Amino acid sequence: MSDVYAKPLPPIDGLNAPFWAGARAGKLMLQRCLDCAQYRFPASRYCPSCLGERSEWQATSGQGMVVSYCGFHKAYWPSFAGDVPYDVVQVRLKEGVQLFSNLVDVPRERIKIGMKVRAHFDAVTDAVTLVRFKP
Amino acid sequence: MPNKSLAGKVAVAGVGTTRYGRLPEYDPYDLGIWALKEALADCGLKIADIDGVILNRIPDYQRFCELAGLNPSYTTITPGHGRFSGICIQTAVALIATGMAKTVALVYGNNGRSAGDQYGGATDIYGSGGPGLWFPYGMTSPGAFHALMAKRHMEQYGTTSDQLGQVAMAFRRHAALNPQAVMRDPFTLADYHASRFVCEPLHLLDYCLINDGGVAMILTNAKRAKNLAKPPVYIRGFGQTAKFTGSTFPPDDYWAAPMKKVARSAYGMAGAKPADMDALMIYDNFTPTVMFCLEGFGFCKTGESGPFVENGRLQLGGEFPTNTSGGHLSESYMQGWALNVEAVRQVRGECGARQVKDANLVQYMTAAPVITSMIYGKEAK
Ligand SMILES: [Zn+2]
Repeated sequence: MSDVYAKPLPPIDGLNAPFWAGARAGKLMLQRCLDCAQYRFPASRYCPSCLGERSEWQATSGQGMVVSYCGFHKAYWPSFAGDVPYDVVQVRLKEGVQLFSNLVDVPRERIKIGMKVRAHFDAVTDAVTLVRFKP
Repeated sequence: MPNKSLAGKVAVAGVGTTRYGRLPEYDPYDLGIWALKEALADCGLKIADIDGVILNRIPDYQRFCELAGLNPSYTTITPGHGRFSGICIQTAVALIATGMAKTVALVYGNNGRSAGDQYGGATDIYGSGGPGLWFPYGMTSPGAFHALMAKRHMEQYGTTSDQLGQVAMAFRRHAALNPQAVMRDPFTLADYHASRFVCEPLHLLDYCLINDGGVAMILTNAKRAKNLAKPPVYIRGFGQTAKFTGSTFPPDDYWAAPMKKVARSAYGMAGAKPADMDALMIYDNFTPTVMFCLEGFGFCKTGESGPFVENGRLQLGGEFPTNTSGGHLSESYMQGWALNVEAVRQVRGECGARQVKDANLVQYMTAAPVITSMIYGKEAK
């Protein structure tokens, strides 16, 4: 195992910065429209539901459900070659927002659609904490 | 909303295709010009007869028209996304119906194979929600997006890998009858299962090809089309609707709601119903989208596409011969264009060993964030 984290890292600056800062602090932060109260992610200046410009970032429940999943057998980056087959889950949070992520501590054959999951904060580097999920 | 006044008013006069496969000596402009020359020869028109140009996937309209000797009255260019084939054809109908152009050339050139196109990895933007947002989790590629939908369909309705395999096998059998197809060796269900998973539950044989090629279509008004080299193939009906909201993620309904809207429009215009279709051309980027179209357009009930595709129903000689050219899975990945050309050739009766007997009505359809459908007919109404 190498000391250098070789997998792709998300851009943690820009509009999504509060999401990544929240993850480092162990919180699942989402942008919420102050006009229509809809949550959204990724971040945008205008609310896709009402085009309102006023928003704030709020800590959310971190709870969600597995909508579907798929198993990668092809490594699109060399850094994933040691992980295949690995699974990506589509999670719908209680707040309605969806995310692509991974489950931790769940063997592949135990992943099920409809599984209830909660956010798990995975500090992959000093600067970046990814939001993964646990049952 | 069906616009019956447009039904049968515009016709496909000429179609042209290049060879398919690996053509490294041709760039996308060359491939487009090659296809356009074939389409002009097909209908007996000259470059000077073209007064409208719609380009797809070709990098630059000015350079293309300079190379092709075109000075049209209307020019536009669209991105190389498969959903645009249907959009472009419908735009051509509108231009001709309004008199903005009399004879429109639609030209597509794709050197994806030689250019080393990758649909997944660092350059992937399909439904990404922003550059690189999901890469840290290993999420990338249109294939994975459709694998997620396929997995959910399987758990929700009991659809099986065997049934997806039936779709892929049917199209390969058709390709075996098509000299132009890139992949012509038939395979068994055992071969299908033995093909490696790319993104589970999808095997390599559930994925479309990546290859080079070009396609062109020439459309004109029905009256003019009658006096050209080939019999007109009439555009009897069409429809289009988008589902962009929330489209970073697979839709819960496999696009059924927007497809129903498009179906109402296309069938309403054509005065026909699914059972009237003699052959189907379904945008097969991956096998599951064939299933979603069969459900969304009303060929079978919601969730029943799995059993529906069994027993050779989509094969030549079956109830709904589908992708008789081999489609994107086995003929060529021409992003919908070659399927529209195959529809025209079927209606004309030019398909040789793979010809559907009495193909009077043939429907093209696609499942994606833009859903389009076209119905082609031998008669104007
Ligand atoms: Zn809002």
